[in-house]
Amino acid sequence: MENNIKRIGDVVKSVANQLGGRRVSRLYTRLMNRIEVLPDDKFAYLMLTPAFILMTIIAFWPITYTLQMSVREDHDIETVGEFVGLENYYKILTNDANLLAPFFDITQPFYSSLTVTIIITIGAVVLSMVLGFAQALILNETFKGQSVMRVIVILPWAVPIVIQGMIFRLMFTPGAGVGVEWLDFLGFANATSPLAYSRESTFIVILAEAWKHSAFVAIILLAGLQSINRELYKVADVAGASRWQRFKMITFPLIIPAIFVALIFRTIESMRIYGTVVAVSGCGDVTVLTCSVINEFSRHNYGTSSAVAVILALIIASIVAVYLTRFAQRGGISQ
Amino acid sequence: MKKYNNIADKLVKSSIANPERIYNYLLYISAAFFSVLIIFPFYFLFVVSITPQHGLAEVRYLPTGFQWENYIDTLEIVPLHQYILNSIIIATITTVFVLIVASLAGYVFGRFKFKGRGVLLVAFLIITYFPGTTYIIPLFRLFTGNISLFGLATPDLYGTPWPVVLPLAGITLPLATFILTVFYSRIPDGLEDAARIEGCTRIGALFRVIVPLSAPAVATVGILTFILVYNEFFFSFLLTDSSYNNWAPLVHGIQMYEVTTVRGSPYHLMAAGSILGLIPVTVLVFLGQKKIVSGLTAGALKE
Repeated sequence: MENNIKRIGDVVKSVANQLGGRRVSRLYTRLMNRIEVLPDDKFAYLMLTPAFILMTIIAFWPITYTLQMSVREDHDIETVGEFVGLENYYKILTNDANLLAPFFDITQPFYSSLTVTIIITIGAVVLSMVLGFAQALILNETFKGQSVMRVIVILPWAVPIVIQGMIFRLMFTPGAGVGVEWLDFLGFANATSPLAYSRESTFIVILAEAWKHSAFVAIILLAGLQSINRELYKVADVAGASRWQRFKMITFPLIIPAIFVALIFRTIESMRIYGTVVAVSGCGDVTVLTCSVINEFSRHNYGTSSAVAVILALIIASIVAVYLTRFAQRGGISQ
Repeated sequence: MKKYNNIADKLVKSSIANPERIYNYLLYISAAFFSVLIIFPFYFLFVVSITPQHGLAEVRYLPTGFQWENYIDTLEIVPLHQYILNSIIIATITTVFVLIVASLAGYVFGRFKFKGRGVLLVAFLIITYFPGTTYIIPLFRLFTGNISLFGLATPDLYGTPWPVVLPLAGITLPLATFILTVFYSRIPDGLEDAARIEGCTRIGALFRVIVPLSAPAVATVGILTFILVYNEFFFSFLLTDSSYNNWAPLVHGIQMYEVTTVRGSPYHLMAAGSILGLIPVTVLVFLGQKKIVSGLTAGALKE
């Protein structure tokens, strides 16, 4: 053991010798010795320290800080206002807070932007689940050109959000975009300059989200499909089951867990949508909840902003909780 | 007319006799349909990017002209190559950082039993459920040097790569750790034991045995992290100013077209810029498509 520590040390030593001489290398050897003689669980905690320092700075501390801010008054100059209890929450929920003007009902800013967020979530999640499922079913078959299609399916996943926004912005820009004609065909009232209107912009954001994220759904569901035991299909064939029966009796029940996983991830992602909205149309037309948070933040209303952020996190947490309990029930039945 | 009837008749008969063949045709048709659906936005972007300005209004499905100079002109409006370079550097630093930290964490999560392992792992994963909005205000104040710790102000990091690198490392760390935990735990104990008997330390065994043996998994995590960081919007946009000299990433480069728009909306130049911004990730997708698929599924399904 002693030997080996020296061996690792040798490389560092040669570097250290040039940098700071023998003292540094001796320190290094001693440090490695110290680490090596630690019992397993202390060693584990030591190895986890960098990760937890990072997580504390980036996540744990900010969450508690935001919680603290949310029970303090908005203040113009000082960044930390007086303690006001749940007043910020009360103001937001009773439409007393002066949030970003949304498009359903200007007198109810919070509920309107919540509605917009939920509409986008439902639209984007349903569309991306349907498209992704179809893509996964196709990729699960063997055919010529399969690998080409797999690359094509993944591509939108890898597109930077800001470029995703730019693509859909250009497609629906009057005088340059082809999408204007599609909207006209679909019977939208303001098809000539869709991005100037909230309803049309929301629809375009949903399209952009479905296009980018069906890739993720397809990848998850494809893995689910490929983990199904092939023997089951052989048995079904022997029993004379049709394709539809095989799908209904074997494929669908067995990928329900994968469907739940994709649903949970997609819903969380959609509820916290921000970049696509900003890049496609701007927060003024499509006011989702994250837009309210950022808008209040840029107006230095730290209290209100934090309170909206906490409410959004709670809504997402409760949706996840509903999914997980449903999933547990389902799992209980099928087993 | 009769001839066509005959053909239709034959087709029906042959498909009744051989339903597999019809099924195969349907498969090809739907595969082609979805491929076109996915490719179209890219195709449209490309068509706009090579169209001369006077041809923009007529662009529908086919290019109305070929003006390759758009790709050079676009860099004169916005120095996009600088922003892309910033993004690549930021993504590279983040990836290296995440790989090291996640390797250490994945090693002990995957191969050691210790008190609190389950709790710590859950604490790790729960972070991924919070929206970025719950972090943004404290992080902004932290990186602009407005938080004091024990009476000392934190350093003002605004305008350096760190306000983007650190949050994105934090966000991608759970997924990276999780994938590495899964892969590291699959390596047979015997190999590690052998190294230990030979006199390797635990850290030595990690970097000399475990990491080299799971090179595909490490590459997977690297590619995923790089792409996720390169693509990110929220923190990249809000924690940097728009100047490329201050490490502003691609997000700001593309958004600059909105600000610096010259009269007559240079849509063709916006499109050309977007195509340039897509190059790095497209290359990675072509090189690492299998790894992306396996990484995303390992990360999502095992959680």
